[in-house]
Amino acid sequence: MRIPLMAAAAAVAVRLVFLTPVVAAQEIPSIPPTKESVCPDNNPVPLLACARERAKTFKAPRTRDGKPDFSGFWGGTQAPHENLEAHPRTPDDNGGPSFIVDPADGKVPMRAWAEVKRRENRAKYIDQNAQCFQSGVPRHLYMGQYQWLQTPTRLVQLSEETNAYRNIILDARPHLGRDLVLWQGDSRGRWEGDALVVVTKNQVGRGWLDQQGRFVTDAATVTERFTMFDPNSILWEITIDDPLVYTRPFTMASALRRNLRADFEIWEESCYEGESNTNSLRNLGYRTYPGFSAKEAQVAKDAFERAAAAGSSK
Amino acid sequence: MRVAVCVVAAVLAGMPIALAQTPAGPAYRAPRTADGQPDLQGIWQAVNTAVWNIQDHPAELGIPAGQGIVDGNEIPYLPLALAQRQVNYRSRQSADPEGKCFMVGTPRINYMPYPFEIVQTPTQITILYEYVHTSRHLRFSGKHPEGAIQWIMGDSRARWDGDTLVVDVVHFGDQNWFDRSGNYHSADMHLVERWTRTGPDHLSYQATIDDPKVFSRPWTIRMPLYRRVEPNVQLLDYECQAYLEAEKDRR
Amino acid sequence: MTARISAGVAAALAASVLASAVSAHHSLTVEFDINRTVTMSGVITEMKWTNPHAWLYVDVKDEKGQVRNWAIEFGSPNALYRRGWRQTDLPPRNTITVTGYPSLDQSLRISATDVKLPDGRTLFAGSPVGGGQ
Repeated sequence: MRIPLMAAAAAVAVRLVFLTPVVAAQEIPSIPPTKESVCPDNNPVPLLACARERAKTFKAPRTRDGKPDFSGFWGGTQAPHENLEAHPRTPDDNGGPSFIVDPADGKVPMRAWAEVKRRENRAKYIDQNAQCFQSGVPRHLYMGQYQWLQTPTRLVQLSEETNAYRNIILDARPHLGRDLVLWQGDSRGRWEGDALVVVTKNQVGRGWLDQQGRFVTDAATVTERFTMFDPNSILWEITIDDPLVYTRPFTMASALRRNLRADFEIWEESCYEGESNTNSLRNLGYRTYPGFSAKEAQVAKDAFERAAAAGSSK
Repeated sequence: MRVAVCVVAAVLAGMPIALAQTPAGPAYRAPRTADGQPDLQGIWQAVNTAVWNIQDHPAELGIPAGQGIVDGNEIPYLPLALAQRQVNYRSRQSADPEGKCFMVGTPRINYMPYPFEIVQTPTQITILYEYVHTSRHLRFSGKHPEGAIQWIMGDSRARWDGDTLVVDVVHFGDQNWFDRSGNYHSADMHLVERWTRTGPDHLSYQATIDDPKVFSRPWTIRMPLYRRVEPNVQLLDYECQAYLEAEKDRR
Repeated sequence: MTARISAGVAAALAASVLASAVSAHHSLTVEFDINRTVTMSGVITEMKWTNPHAWLYVDVKDEKGQVRNWAIEFGSPNALYRRGWRQTDLPPRNTITVTGYPSLDQSLRISATDVKLPDGRTLFAGSPVGGGQ
């Protein structure tokens, strides 16, 4: 259920007056003017069911070459960068339900060795966004202001944050060779009916999926499905498949909402050139996250499981 | 030698209109996009040494020789600005923004030794650069936002002049250089670019720099851009800042 | 935004450009102590409106009478630009009162939650005098 923008802002204002300190939470940027959605865009499980139902009969506007037209300005609706799982509101977090729709318990199915590494990541390393590195897939689209440009051969997802872009190739060429890795991954999109299915491989494996330190290796395959279900809403389904890190593929869902603000433009947000937080983070003992290649993950997983087996046999 | 320079300068000063024209030769008619615009799309790259020095320069260890891209090979610095340029040159190992993995500004991004991809829609042309994932949006609608704004790549507004894309760029900062030799501009620089297809695999680029704080008159650079024709060519990464920060942690 | 905005919403908008507003930039608590706030007054010496944060640099006299230069961190300059604010709206040498979270590593940095001009107006709230969007 969409709360009208003004009421939401007034609610925020009331909170500011009566509770301090509260503004430390990274305010979800005020959702730009948009119309009421037919589906709840702040709760993934009901969103998914509702949006899929709506998509059966909704006919998206077309491009010149007859494809659904995803071009225009879009905004994220939630804050999965805080935590993919359900988490409470705190001074630092907006909080919210889990983004995971499968498995049904909403938990990230991490392998035991990876869960240990996750906690280590949080304690020792710096989130890639804090250093103005690109977010990777799917994190690039979690939250913020986007402009999507669509041609017959490209879907470019521009993000104002860190001036980042994702360049999704819509022809049938093969993925890059195994030795080439990209911070935003190597994406190929194809149409399945009115849905755009995007498969991303060749990520660098040096980014986190959320600020809790959840990670993927360079062997991960991320599959997204974009489906417009009303004139101003896109259902975004994401399946992450990285067998070294996770016990099974898991799927998340969110909505992207059209930014209807007149004359809106993506402006330059240069990030690294003005970034000065990394030094203070280094002073506190944090280091740049080194990441995991598939090879490194295999070694770490095997070592952990050997040690666990040895320990349990005593 | 000085006489020849004066003659060239006099000739150039009297021919501002000629400088704005597309290169000589039979006009090439570019294919059109579905919307009827000349199609500039594809992956392009400069093949020159302008990034080292936009003027003529001999080789040095590790630096190839190059014929410059500046019309008349002269950059008309004001006297105090020329002194600043010499200071930049002497401190180029540490002072060049490229060495810090920063975005390098416009026009330098166009002759960095990395490819870029032009994506074209009816409302804007977006250029995606491989170097530190820089992007520029050449908008057909709207105007430069008003007031004092400093962006590294500037704000670009585009229009068609026949088959030539003319791009007006303002709102720069003052931290960027034209090359690795310390040629620089102020935040007041006003840049006008002209992009023209000259063949199936060639794009001509020229830019006129107008910055009265630094230069005594406008001056122009020009160069061809070459299409990357390898099958399945695509933009890769040069995420300089990620490599640099990882290096810092290794020390 | 039009004049129909209530004071409460204006305060919310003002708050949203302070400190931590960059969308997914990073967790504030990693760098700043959000369990304390500090307040100080001083004279602006410099402004840097570079992304990802706009910065004000302020000369502040401590208890011993020593003047030290503090760095005050705001949110993204684009948020200010979009509301019509420009760096030239606030020339240096203005005195301001800053409240914010101190840095965890004891450096002279604050993540601003509130910045007031001597006449009580909140800095960067609403629109600049004379219009702006």
